[in-house]
Amino acid sequence: MDLRHRNNVNVMGNGTSTLVFSHGFGCNQAMWNDLAPPFLEHFRVVLYDLVGAGLSDLSAFDKTKYGTLDGYAHDLNEIIAAYAQGPVILVGHSVSAMIGPSPRYIDTDGYVGGFKRSDIDELLDTLDSNYLGWSSAMAPVIMGAPGQPALSDTLADSFCRTEPDIAKHFARVTFTSDNRQDVIGLTTPVLILQSSDDLIAPVAVGKYLHSVMPNSTYCLVDNVGHCPHMSAPQACAAAMQGFLAPWTATRAG
Amino acid sequence: MPAELFDSAACALAVTGEDGTILKANARFGDWLGFSIAELCTRRFQDLLTMGGRIFHQTHLAPMLRMHGSVTEVKLDILHRDGHKVTVLLNGNKRQQADEVVYDLALFGTTDRDKYERELLNARNLAEALLQEKTSTELALQNAQAELKQAYAISQRRAVFAEQMMAIVSHDLKNPLTAIRMASDFLSRNERTAKERQLLGHIGQSSERAQRMIADLLDFTQARVGQGIVIKAAPLDLHNVIHRAVDELRVAFPKATLVHCTEGAGETCLDADRVQQIIGNLVANSVAYGDLKQPITITSRLDNGAGAVSVHNHGAPIPQALLAGLFEPMTRGTDQGSDVRSVGLGLYIVRELAKVHGGDVTVNSCATAGTTFTVTFQNT
Repeated sequence: MDLRHRNNVNVMGNGTSTLVFSHGFGCNQAMWNDLAPPFLEHFRVVLYDLVGAGLSDLSAFDKTKYGTLDGYAHDLNEIIAAYAQGPVILVGHSVSAMIGPSPRYIDTDGYVGGFKRSDIDELLDTLDSNYLGWSSAMAPVIMGAPGQPALSDTLADSFCRTEPDIAKHFARVTFTSDNRQDVIGLTTPVLILQSSDDLIAPVAVGKYLHSVMPNSTYCLVDNVGHCPHMSAPQACAAAMQGFLAPWTATRAG
Repeated sequence: MPAELFDSAACALAVTGEDGTILKANARFGDWLGFSIAELCTRRFQDLLTMGGRIFHQTHLAPMLRMHGSVTEVKLDILHRDGHKVTVLLNGNKRQQADEVVYDLALFGTTDRDKYERELLNARNLAEALLQEKTSTELALQNAQAELKQAYAISQRRAVFAEQMMAIVSHDLKNPLTAIRMASDFLSRNERTAKERQLLGHIGQSSERAQRMIADLLDFTQARVGQGIVIKAAPLDLHNVIHRAVDELRVAFPKATLVHCTEGAGETCLDADRVQQIIGNLVANSVAYGDLKQPITITSRLDNGAGAVSVHNHGAPIPQALLAGLFEPMTRGTDQGSDVRSVGLGLYIVRELAKVHGGDVTVNSCATAGTTFTVTFQNT
């Protein structure tokens, strides 16, 4: 199995510690374009696409293997084993934070995830009706974006374009997952970086994570939407640099 | 004029800030959703969507607008003030202003097309489900066929093994049997008491029967496993051969009345021992299954070098159900014959012997005419 091909792995930067960036549902590694660059100077940086997304090898997609988040976690471990050096810090957005932001999306007794089962069914329906037009024969026409920095490389073109079947499958796996048992009592140092106004991961979810993980640091970034690393990259980078200081310092050796 | 154009456009138009807050909307937008312009401008665009639409907006639409600066033909459900869904197609464009980024949105009603697309989608899902079903059925069929093939191969190997086993065993039984016969012959030459004579007679009869069975088994295995039964044909008088055979059979079956008839004349080329074996088998069958109060008739026929022999007996006919497989090995006319004479190879061997003589065997059996087996020979 060629990992580089399967997960479209890109390695850059210099450092004795490794930052592995893992993107969330709906997109690909291009979503890190604004956040990753400031870290290249002090860290080895590994970017990759989840199987089924971006420029990953679609033929490697297996509904059984990726029927739970464990399949993606397995891939991540392989990538870390093959490409990481020194201490490894995973930077995961949204669902990727659990492969390796939400431990559970659907409300249940005594827990607020922010969604009802019917909401998720609606999402699947929206995906279905949109991918009818987005199937391979009719890829979305993405109009030129004057004044936008050059994003015309193939990676950016594949942004948010996933095979319809895989997108739906991934949506179902993601939004019906429950990883609370994996995070309760976890002692690994964790930075919880949360958007102040995020529909997908409400503030209550971040607070919950902070309360169950003893070595976690909580940081609320003033931002609207689910992608603060795209809409507020400076604030995110600042928060991360503080958290990463211990590993940044070891670089000089 | 441009303001009028904006408000009365044939689609809903809006401008939002970077966080989705509606900065400006046209009258059509308000009409479609049952809100006033002022009410719209206090809301964010994503808050107007259904929950599924909001997730989609957050995970796909917003990142794509940010990264590419535009989206086209995205289908979304917007909630009307009274709660019902309005299905729209959205085009969006990012615009850099002096100090901020805004998004221009245009929405087109698409309710009817949506229905049509949903029908298409349902049809496709149905087709895919059917295909899936067909594929899995085919797979199951393939698996079943493979299993069957494997089972067939196994049973064939077993059958061949069993036949080879039979060949070896019947061959190896011949020698001890010959020793038994020689020893009992030797013992009968001296003075014996009546009881001893009787016992020696039993030994002789039993070993003779066993020898016939082994001979049948050897013929059978030769026909099935080997190169077939080998014959030594020579010119002979068929009537003469049958006459001698019937004489011998009269001694073997004293309770039966055997009548020999001849038709035609001349010479034919046959294996005399094998012809005798055929007659022996058929007459033994007639004695076993026929009515012994009436005669058994053996007829030998000659016609231009081609010969035929038939054996006829009276009595109950062979059941119709058995006729078709009568010449297959391990078949018996009835169940009465467990003590009759053999393991059920007799008629099979008769047919094999007829075939190596270039002929065949047929049977006619009915209540009125009785049963007739007819063996034909070509001049070999």
